Amino acid sequence: MTAYMGKVLWVDLSTGDFTEETIPEELYKKYLSGIGLAAHLLFERIPAGADPMGPENILGFVSGLLTGTPSLFSGRWMAVGKSPLTGTWGDANCGGYFSLSIKKCGYDGIFFSGAADQPVYLFIGPGGPELRDAADLWGLDTMATETILRERHGEKRMPGVACIGEAGEKQSLIAGISHDYGRMAARSGLGAVMGSKNLKALVLTGAQPVRLADPARMRELGKRPGKLARFRIPLPAWAMSTLGKVLRNPLLSLRMDGVLYLSILRKWGTVGLNQTSVEWGDAPIKNWAGTYQDFPSVVSDKVSPAVVSNWEAQKYHCLACPLGCGGTMKPNGEIPVSHKPEYETTLAFSGMLLNDDWDSIMLINDLLNRAGMDSISAGGTVAAVMEWVEKGLLSRADVDGLDLGWGNTEEIVALVRKMIAREGIGDLLADGVRQARRRLRIEDRTAEVTAGGSELAMHDPRLDPGFGLHAGVEPTPGRHTTGAFVYYDMYRLWTRIPGAPRPPLLYNKKVSYEPSAESAKKSVLMSCFTNFYNGLGICMFGALLGADRLPLFEWTNAATGWDFSSAAYLETGRRIQTLRQMFNIKQGVRPVEIRVNARALGMPPMKRGPHKALQVDLAVLRENYWSEIGWDHESGVPKAETLRGLGLSALVEGEGA
Amino acid sequence: MAFSITSDCKGCQACLRNCPTQAINGERHEVHEIDQGRCIECGACGRVCPYHAVAAPDGAIAERIRRSDWLRPVIDQRTCVSCGLCITICPVSCLDYDEPGSRVPPEGYPYLKVPLACVGCGFCEVVCPVGAIELVARSEG
Repeated sequence: MTAYMGKVLWVDLSTGDFTEETIPEELYKKYLSGIGLAAHLLFERIPAGADPMGPENILGFVSGLLTGTPSLFSGRWMAVGKSPLTGTWGDANCGGYFSLSIKKCGYDGIFFSGAADQPVYLFIGPGGPELRDAADLWGLDTMATETILRERHGEKRMPGVACIGEAGEKQSLIAGISHDYGRMAARSGLGAVMGSKNLKALVLTGAQPVRLADPARMRELGKRPGKLARFRIPLPAWAMSTLGKVLRNPLLSLRMDGVLYLSILRKWGTVGLNQTSVEWGDAPIKNWAGTYQDFPSVVSDKVSPAVVSNWEAQKYHCLACPLGCGGTMKPNGEIPVSHKPEYETTLAFSGMLLNDDWDSIMLINDLLNRAGMDSISAGGTVAAVMEWVEKGLLSRADVDGLDLGWGNTEEIVALVRKMIAREGIGDLLADGVRQARRRLRIEDRTAEVTAGGSELAMHDPRLDPGFGLHAGVEPTPGRHTTGAFVYYDMYRLWTRIPGAPRPPLLYNKKVSYEPSAESAKKSVLMSCFTNFYNGLGICMFGALLGADRLPLFEWTNAATGWDFSSAAYLETGRRIQTLRQMFNIKQGVRPVEIRVNARALGMPPMKRGPHKALQVDLAVLRENYWSEIGWDHESGVPKAETLRGLGLSALVEGEGA
Repeated sequence: MAFSITSDCKGCQACLRNCPTQAINGERHEVHEIDQGRCIECGACGRVCPYHAVAAPDGAIAERIRRSDWLRPVIDQRTCVSCGLCITICPVSCLDYDEPGSRVPPEGYPYLKVPLACVGCGFCEVVCPVGAIELVARSEG
């Protein structure tokens, strides 16, 4: 048993019972750890048609196979369960150091079933797991909760804490789970699931070591990527806007390289691309209906990387990360020390709303982190409300008298506060834009920019159709982290996977992004690779360094003592992807009914800007993807021969054990 | 596999007091026991036992070492990438980030914040992904 801990903990919140389950090595070889192991366990144990907010749903916290080993970027953990936001497989990926906290307790995952009668928190100390009364914590925000729990249980060593805030307690369907004072496992609404179970927090204080097959080999492999990740390209902040203008070239694109991208992340963090993305056309403007002309560089200068840097007190590194793209911010007025707003939060509350007030973005970031609410979904919901007000679909009285014109900073902040508190109009909006539209009886869906009910992140499919395809085709809809053609460039899978297409250094975007057998192959490879590294607990930014530069396959073999090829590991990724799709099928989800908002696909086409006349043919892209991965090209249901080939014969109808 | 205590134990409780995971049980003047499930194989019990009564997982009797001669981590900041693995893996929380001061970018590097708490287990050296940590005797460090 090396790299993995060999068991998981089951907590039945209804009865208070704990069960340790030993996981055989064969299962780790088949599914890795993290998302793969979770997919196996949740597929088996969440009953078909389960109410995501009911006791039959299972909420899991899983570590990664490489977490706690001498490998870089290996500190990610995931919350998993059936999503109440989308009704599909749900997962939320987060950094910090909680992933190792799980393993130090001797587990690869901790899973909660049932629901407690009263608020409780899980404490794992020297005496093993116990459920403790959380009545005194209920109602506190995530920062206060974590502070109290660290003081209460941090005598010997710093505990790993994950908790919900007001949003999770009030079962907002866009609630996330916070760790380390505001690192958020934000997506899929899993904070609401935690709230529905009356589970306020997890406090982990273990010290178990992670055993290794060949640590010396792992360390040797880490030296080169460690240097590459800290390589500094001298890019001044003013150049980032210009870079976006250059990239806007409608025809030609340079093959992207992760070394440049990581250099930007190292210098500024994700906000380094704030202006680049606006100018390039990656960031949606004015609820996806505007362009950089509506949020020009003289305005976006107010949320430029230089402005953000001025507030940064110290770099924040997640566990095992050489980059430090996070940051701790200096106090700003009523905002105490806080995490640096990420790109997603900044763009969701600036360009999307035409808001150029940096202080308000810092404030909203802090409010949402304290409440434990997903900033992507919250921003998307606020943007839709502003559009409905502009179109006259909502009156000022409907929105509690707020003047929700584009860019009205104070009113935006007030609306966010109402959403967190579920007060007035905020109660109707706190479950995301799809629920809001239904409750407000608005027929027009154009402003509801979601995929399968999950608000789209700040990356435009009209710029890179891969974002649209993966938002609609993945078992967890609406994600920006699972695939895009720009990611494919950086993953450099052709260096390690036989037959993987190699993009030329300079290519024609229009031709390259059109639906084709080659683009489908790239997309499927990205899905497989993403599932593979999510099984390892690897950060996406590390993976973007390139498969030939970050030795994930070699690290996995050296950590475990296995001897699998890179192609075999990608096949494991395909197995995980297919099992997650089967989770959705079992839960009654019809993949063809997962829709991506038409506006985000260029329907109707833009009349100006970088996406002028561009449309994404999602139906064809999706059919090609389904064919390539071995799922039925019309229904998206994995074929029987695919399941058999992946060692999932038990899932074939009539062949189950 | 874990460390174990032999019948030579006199129950002095030195091991019990130094175990970072409270894995050792026993009454004073009686033979102690190590909870195999809690032992993390840091070896602190063996290094403090005055009666040569602690056996390593391979069966070898652990050697008592004066605390001042225990190995301590030395971190090479030129190689270190501030990833924090050593800080997080440490079973006694004796490492922490230092203040970034005027460094550009403003990031901290790990240092031995609580030398007296360090049990010389070497977990930090093993887990360092870039080989920036070396355990050395205090006289060399």
